[in-house]
Amino acid sequence: MFLIAEYRSKDALVEALLALKGAGLTAEDLAVFSEEPIEFRKGILDRHSNMSKAAVAGAVTLGTLATWFVYYAQHNYELITGGMPIFSFWATGIITYETTMLGAVLATFFWFLWESGLIRRRDPEAPIPVIGPASMSLRVKCDSARADSFVETLRRTGAIKTERRGK
Amino acid sequence: MAEHPELLPYGIIREDLFRPLSRAGSKWWFTVTVCFLLVLAGLAAWGVQLRDGLGVTGLNRPVFWGLYIVDFVFWIGISHAGTLISAILRLTDAAWRKPVTRAAEAITLFALMIGGLFPIIHLGRAWFFYWLIPYPNARLMWPNFRSPLVWDLVAILTYVTGSAIYLYLPLIPDMAQLGAHNKPWRRKLYTTLSLGWTGSDREWHALEMAMKLNAVIILAIAISVHTVVAWDFSMSIAPTWHSTMFGPYFVVGAIFSGIGALIIVMATLRRTLHLENYLIKRHFDNMSKLMLTMSLLWFYFTMSEHITIWYGNEPKEMGVFGQRTRGDYAFWFWTMVVVNFVIPVTLLGIKKLRSITTAVIASFGVLIGMWLERYLIVVPTLVTPRLASATSVYSPSWVELMITVATFAAMILLYLLFARLFPIIAVWEYKPHSPEEED
Repeated sequence: MFLIAEYRSKDALVEALLALKGAGLTAEDLAVFSEEPIEFRKGILDRHSNMSKAAVAGAVTLGTLATWFVYYAQHNYELITGGMPIFSFWATGIITYETTMLGAVLATFFWFLWESGLIRRRDPEAPIPVIGPASMSLRVKCDSARADSFVETLRRTGAIKTERRGK
Repeated sequence: MAEHPELLPYGIIREDLFRPLSRAGSKWWFTVTVCFLLVLAGLAAWGVQLRDGLGVTGLNRPVFWGLYIVDFVFWIGISHAGTLISAILRLTDAAWRKPVTRAAEAITLFALMIGGLFPIIHLGRAWFFYWLIPYPNARLMWPNFRSPLVWDLVAILTYVTGSAIYLYLPLIPDMAQLGAHNKPWRRKLYTTLSLGWTGSDREWHALEMAMKLNAVIILAIAISVHTVVAWDFSMSIAPTWHSTMFGPYFVVGAIFSGIGALIIVMATLRRTLHLENYLIKRHFDNMSKLMLTMSLLWFYFTMSEHITIWYGNEPKEMGVFGQRTRGDYAFWFWTMVVVNFVIPVTLLGIKKLRSITTAVIASFGVLIGMWLERYLIVVPTLVTPRLASATSVYSPSWVELMITVATFAAMILLYLLFARLFPIIAVWEYKPHSPEEED
């Protein structure tokens, strides 16, 4: 089941997160919803990201593919180059560079869509709290057996409103 | 006027920044109509060129490049306003960047869209533009990857893609907010484009990560793009073009003109959308200082370029040098020096003279000056080529002039439409980190 708690203070929210983690919940069970990005200290609600690795992988892949393509194209359909080499790494370098960067941009974008969950199938059971401009919501995924104690924790840490959703 | 707009209550910020989306005054409609008609006129002029061929332009032998290439370099330069400036400010975490970045990023995208059209317009038989795309043609030959034209295509496509993504990413949270309360068609537009954004910490974390990474990548792309544009010239052995410093010279010029465009856009938005509380004097002051720095850098590069030619005394290069400094183009050359260096340094360098008005005046001058600079790079060299018997004159035809005017109208039109569809300042970036910070 899910618990939703509304907070108006970042400090209270941090306290709640620490208390819930102390009670055995992991970052995967917790989600904070807000209209602005909230920065937490390390260890409070860490989200692992592989985006930079994805950017590098995208860059290397597209750059390599483009270089291979240019090499292949120039060797298979030879231009008249007046005695110059058919394939020149110097001239191709610009295309390699640009496509490497393009690979990084595209990989970053698609990885963002994936990692943020925007293009993944979300848990249909998980409720999305309505957030106002002056509030932050904490969503907690927990066993119904422990829900009462977690609600108590949420209230104790300063939640102005709590509600239960799902089974 | 708010001294610290970020401290205004969020409700007011949101209302102020979303308000321009719901109201369009008669001035807005008038400007849109005029710009639209000018764009139509430009399309008609292009239609004439497509029907009758490049002969309707002032281009001739050996002046194969004229206004179209000048406009191309100019608009690609303007595009450096946005993404580059925004990326630098974002990476350095400059707090004053908040109201500036989106306006700047939008300039980049629109300027690139316009600039990217010129190589196609210049092709003559524009319907064969797809020959640039790498595929084997009827003679089983692939495009010549050594050609700077193909480099341009790849570089600009990369930059357009990167800039569009860079503009789109921070728009997502704002569009999610707009999706909740608006007209049905707008609601559908914003809901679709915001991809079901919920505001979870996972989404924010991914967004911030993506913005940081993109800012780094886009910096590298922006510099490379204008360097590649410079190499269109410097890879040839035409007098005064074959210069190793053309890359950085063009990049500096691009940022310089980009800042000018950004200041004008900021001042216009401030006045027309009543954003006096958000685009405050501090922003213009900081942008003015940036422009002053770029003016000094531009002068340094221009002087280095010309003093080397003069001291080298190579006859063909001196021919172009003479044309520029005391020949047919001298008036434009010295005008360029005045508007790119003397005026900005005077108006922005002297603290007492520095204001929003003087920043705008200097910016208009810089835009004119940087357009002239590109004209003075392209045309004098081509009218005085190495083969003395091939010298010529060039004056642009009405078709070229009309298309040039239409691109300026297109830029204004795109910007006006964008400002009506999307908040021109990132609303979520203004939100205080804690609701307690609100009054």
